[in-house]
Amino acid sequence: MRLARPAFALSLVAALCPAANATPDEARTWLERMSEALATREYDGLFTHSNLRQSETMRIVHRMEGRNSVERLVSLDGSGREIVRTPREVHAYLPDRRVVLVEPRTDGGSLLKALPTPGAELDAQYLLEARSGSRLLGRDVRVIEIRPRDAYRYGYRLWLDEKTAMPLRSEICDQAGRAVERIQFSKLDMHTNMPASETEPSVDASGFRWVRSARPVADRRVAATGWRPLKVPPGFRLVGSRVQSLPGNPMPVQHLVFSDGFASVSVFIEPGSRSAPAPAEASRMGAASTFTTTVRGYMITAVGEVPPTTVRDIATSLAPASDVGATAPPAR
Amino acid sequence: MTDQIREQMSALLDGELPQDQIGLLVRRMERDTELKRAFGSYVLIGETLRAPGGTTASHGFATRVQAILADGNTAPPAALDPHTGRRLGWLKPAAAVVVAAGTAFAAVLLMRPGDPPGGVATVAQVDEGSSAIADFAADDSASPTPAQSQRLAGYLVAHSQFATPIGRRNVWTSVLAQDPGIARVAYETAEGL
Repeated sequence: MRLARPAFALSLVAALCPAANATPDEARTWLERMSEALATREYDGLFTHSNLRQSETMRIVHRMEGRNSVERLVSLDGSGREIVRTPREVHAYLPDRRVVLVEPRTDGGSLLKALPTPGAELDAQYLLEARSGSRLLGRDVRVIEIRPRDAYRYGYRLWLDEKTAMPLRSEICDQAGRAVERIQFSKLDMHTNMPASETEPSVDASGFRWVRSARPVADRRVAATGWRPLKVPPGFRLVGSRVQSLPGNPMPVQHLVFSDGFASVSVFIEPGSRSAPAPAEASRMGAASTFTTTVRGYMITAVGEVPPTTVRDIATSLAPASDVGATAPPAR
Repeated sequence: MTDQIREQMSALLDGELPQDQIGLLVRRMERDTELKRAFGSYVLIGETLRAPGGTTASHGFATRVQAILADGNTAPPAALDPHTGRRLGWLKPAAAVVVAAGTAFAAVLLMRPGDPPGGVATVAQVDEGSSAIADFAADDSASPTPAQSQRLAGYLVAHSQFATPIGRRNVWTSVLAQDPGIARVAYETAEGL
């Protein structure tokens, strides 16, 4: 019989010791370190992604090509789906559908730059806390708690490697502190000069249908109709808007991004079917919620890693800018 | 599948596979669909056994377990001793059959008669500082069509570019999650407000 894992014994010790809590400023500093590490370090990890409905093992590989990051995430035991983010595009391989979705990468775009970084404004929506934690994967960890102040956003519980600030475990939690999703690393190696072959897709996509975003074309129906929110959940604000095309969609869509400083919600607005409007529908994919409704002949879909109520409230709050007396935002 | 491969997958789930063997096994899993599928089965059963007490299986869970057991070549690799909480590690084939049968029985016990599909569930504490995983209410009566699933996947990929790095990872895992990764929400019960 194998011995109990050292981490388990250490966690018991940690549970008996008073946690050394730190200020929100320290938690913010850790969040900034984590974001920097995730975006700029080279690493290769295996993790289990679980919620109560399913559990999958995935591999993530992240390497740098100059100042550009290249990332590959692959499901090892489930659908075999894989996402590769190259310097120019994001490829989502869906072997179960024999489809590859191709989306231009938009780093450095004005919309991304408009997103707020974790700052003091987070305090209005979240309670931040940093405390010492037990060891994971043989490494000392810092536990960062991001607790939502209301039910319109999820909280996060992050176990960060004290040395690299890389998250070794993360949980998305509801307002009651219950985890709705967990990512737990079983292996995480830091690298330098990782070979490019490690971020090559393993899927043989020959014979797959490659569905690319069409070249953006101005469409009078979308471009002429700016949309504005009448009311959004507390803390969320519109941080950007653009017209873009999406894989497999012949019509350009208006893409609005809302953020509370940590969580973000995208809203896609496209001309709907000219037949009878489809009933509103809500779905969940992991911790991501979606809500689709039809307003004045347009199909509005909100998606984001937020509770279902938040995407519903944002989607149903939108109206043509002419209705709210605002000028449509310029298309980017 | 050889015993050596089974041993390696067991050790990987236990976090005890030597570093030099992890890469080889992962690459093999990426190439070998059958191995990938079998590993998924082990993870599913392992997760079940790691959640003793207070657990309600989600809708379709018993069917999935039965399907796994029907394959006849699946042994749970990382069962936990219910008394000590320690992993049992790989079991001999004969014992594995017993444990596999026990898993099916456990799945039956965990399904509460009359529970709504995908009903709210609780899971025992995993370890220090970690909270129970809560399920969401879902309406599985009408699964999204492939076209709807693909449309939502496209939206999520586009959205992920405007999420924080940790948020992007979460969104991507949602896209990669195997079916029934997409579940329609029974709204009145899901919002919980």
